[in-house]
Amino acid sequence: MKKVYVLIGSFGSGKTELALNLAFRAAACGKTELIDLDLVNTYFRLSEHRRQIEAAGIRLISPNYVSTNVETLSLPAEVVSAFDQPWDTVVFDAGGDPAGATALGRFYEGFAALPPGALEVLHVVNARRPFSADAEALAETNDLLQRSARLAVTGFVNNTNLAVESTPDDLRLGYTLLREVSEQTGVPVVCTAGRADVLQAFLASGPEPRYVGTPFEIQTYMHRDWQSFLHEGLSGG
Amino acid sequence: MAKVLMKGNEAIAEAAIRAGCRYFFGYPITPQTEVPEYMSRVMPKIGGCFLQAESEVAAINMVYGAAGAGARVMTSSSSPGVSLKQEGISYIAGAELPCVIVNVMRGGPGLGGIQASQGDYFQATKGGGHGDYHLVVYAPASVQEVVDLMGVAFDTADRYRNPVMVVADGIIGQMMEPVELPEPREYRIDPAKKPWAATGWTPESGRERAVINSLYIEIEELDELNMRLQARYDEIRKNETRWESYQLEGAEFVACAYGTVARICKAAIDELREEGIRVGLLRPITLWPFPEKAVREAAMADGVRGVLTVELNAGQMLEDVRLAVNGAKPVSFLGHPGSKMPTVEEIKSAIRRMKEEQA
Repeated sequence: MKKVYVLIGSFGSGKTELALNLAFRAAACGKTELIDLDLVNTYFRLSEHRRQIEAAGIRLISPNYVSTNVETLSLPAEVVSAFDQPWDTVVFDAGGDPAGATALGRFYEGFAALPPGALEVLHVVNARRPFSADAEALAETNDLLQRSARLAVTGFVNNTNLAVESTPDDLRLGYTLLREVSEQTGVPVVCTAGRADVLQAFLASGPEPRYVGTPFEIQTYMHRDWQSFLHEGLSGG
Repeated sequence: MAKVLMKGNEAIAEAAIRAGCRYFFGYPITPQTEVPEYMSRVMPKIGGCFLQAESEVAAINMVYGAAGAGARVMTSSSSPGVSLKQEGISYIAGAELPCVIVNVMRGGPGLGGIQASQGDYFQATKGGGHGDYHLVVYAPASVQEVVDLMGVAFDTADRYRNPVMVVADGIIGQMMEPVELPEPREYRIDPAKKPWAATGWTPESGRERAVINSLYIEIEELDELNMRLQARYDEIRKNETRWESYQLEGAEFVACAYGTVARICKAAIDELREEGIRVGLLRPITLWPFPEKAVREAAMADGVRGVLTVELNAGQMLEDVRLAVNGAKPVSFLGHPGSKMPTVEEIKSAIRRMKEEQA
């Protein structure tokens, strides 16, 4: 059966990195399509990894004019192939915040026609991001995302991280937050994602499985040459 | 305080707020729009003022007004928008007012493009607007340094009653890094600390009327202002010049770069060391005042055979590097004026070429 993953969430919560990881994993066992639906942010995009994505046998759909100097991107007609073609897995990487999730609403009919159980709408959460560490605000964001996307969130993903400085404490922070929001909203935590060492250390600390969901080890692809030099602040020496 | 993962533009806004900035006037433009977005979200909750002006020209003149009233105020924009602000910036400098202007630089000239650039070095450091004035110009190279320098920028502006500019290339504005934020500092408009501010005068207030103005009708008066400004710029040169040195000890070549480009240089320097080529980096943190003496000393050090300036433009800081080195050592240039980031490989090749040419 075709499986369709839709990743939504606040801006900067790590949707693109997760989308890439999900797609690479899916491509190892079936026909996979990866759809970049971010019409908001014009930087750090999936299309920068086109060669690597296509080499893995994944079909990548990007908005028109992506990675040019045009900032008003538009949706390509090929997005409907997600619904019309016999993929094993389709991953939608939406733009950040409710504004970014709005582009999904255009495909409401396609999503509605999917068989029961085929669609997973994942709200990706990084509690180390500004405005994301508060349960009440997160529940409100969840509501706004659902309305903008015209889709019901089927699960939360705890993707709490500090990029290369991530520790198990980050996942614990997200765990505590999502436990509260999950109880409040009734939306389950379906996945906890992180770098292998961080994720394993977090799991070893004995969190309640129902607020962890499926552990998902992620590889970092959105890497830059300058990431090895984080400590240039005046206080960092 | 626990770290947070922030985009450079978000860090600009949050650090400004923590430095006591309560007034933001701006107009959206990529790649800095997250600054006004963040301000619009937070300012109303903390008793501050966010206002989206009808244009960049209006925004900078609102900054002029708030600065004249003694507030900590800022605006931000990107290259074409900063060009529009230049008249107001000159007026603010002429009226001796403190404020912070952020330029998250994009490609130019004209509307150019939305990718990263360092093409506004000349504009930021050599005038931009009319008249004999200088801005203090900070160029952060990481999101943490954005946070650190925003606080410094507000303090420097107040200390010297002079506008300060923070220039970030689009990458610094857009990338996300973990940062540690400082504790918020309280700032209140205090007529005792800023007696020049137009905070309301009554006959009983026992002080001179504060007049905010950049028109000097008497020739002598304008002359006096300019002499005062020049003396102040000398003080700033003496006290506020900042730079970072990296691996300069025993270097054969000195790379000179700022912002994101400096970080790519560091990666190249580390890899070249493994090949046995010793390269150091001098990274200006203030573009004005330019760390002229530090660059000269780095270039003149024993064993240094040449200097490589790397910029995301066609060679602007290059002129200041050449002036500092003054012909004593060869100065080469590597740069892209079209927003294409220089790579580690390109920098390594440029250094290897310099070495071969001198063999």
